[in-house]
Amino acid sequence: MVRRVPHQPAHLDPVFRALADPTRRAVLARLASGPAAVTALREPHAMALPSFLQHLGVLQRAGLVRSTKTGRVRTYELAPQPLRAAEAWMAQQRGLWERRLDQLDRHLERMHAAARTRKDSR
Amino acid sequence: MTVDPVLDLFFERLTEVPPAIVWTAWTDPAQLKQWFTPAPWTTVACAIDLRPGGRFATTMRSPEGADMPNEGCYLEVEPERRLTWTSALGPGFRPIAIGPNLPFHFTATILLEPHGAGTRYTAIVRHGDQASRDQHEAMGFHDGWAAAFDQLVALMTR
Repeated sequence: MVRRVPHQPAHLDPVFRALADPTRRAVLARLASGPAAVTALREPHAMALPSFLQHLGVLQRAGLVRSTKTGRVRTYELAPQPLRAAEAWMAQQRGLWERRLDQLDRHLERMHAAARTRKDSR
Repeated sequence: MTVDPVLDLFFERLTEVPPAIVWTAWTDPAQLKQWFTPAPWTTVACAIDLRPGGRFATTMRSPEGADMPNEGCYLEVEPERRLTWTSALGPGFRPIAIGPNLPFHFTATILLEPHGAGTRYTAIVRHGDQASRDQHEAMGFHDGWAAAFDQLVALMTR
């Protein structure tokens, strides 16, 4: 039984914000097929290196990617946990609303039955 | 009305109960308290000022007795047809800041349509974040987000 509030963990905010950009989504989609170095990641994007590195920074701070440095090459890989958390949060919201509307339906039936009883007894 | 498959929730239900009764369940505080919060949580307080810009506030209580207030305001009030409110604005349309307990805002719309003697009701809950308030970013957000997200989630849950 879910006892937690219809509430939203604060750490998801940077995740959704990081995903709210086409370049960053493209980077994630590329990393979905395996780790890649900065040069390879940047190739499809017509973008200066500093701007591109900023995008990588946003993804990393949101916890969506991890990076490792070997010699002079920095390699990025996907970190799945935050996406799972985002998905779980949406599922939790859906569950909350489903249960809320189930309760509404039961309430409506009670109100409806009461209204009919009043009408019949008149 | 557009629905984003990833960020929005969409529910549609049919009930034999006529629209007038469904409308009252959503707009009478005494009734709303009876069903609004999924058990074992309860709604212990509810304030409704039923007009655009009017306050819609509820206080939910956890099974352990912790109270959690929620503030919002109505945006659309069309009796027995349409009710929209948001957590992003308080009474008088005054913006509510995102805080540690409220990192996301949502806007919910309840649509009622007569269906025989009963009602077809639809609930649409839109979620956003601070970034999505900017129109341009919001457009980029919708474009391709769903596909990318689905792909990634599929990959990661394999």
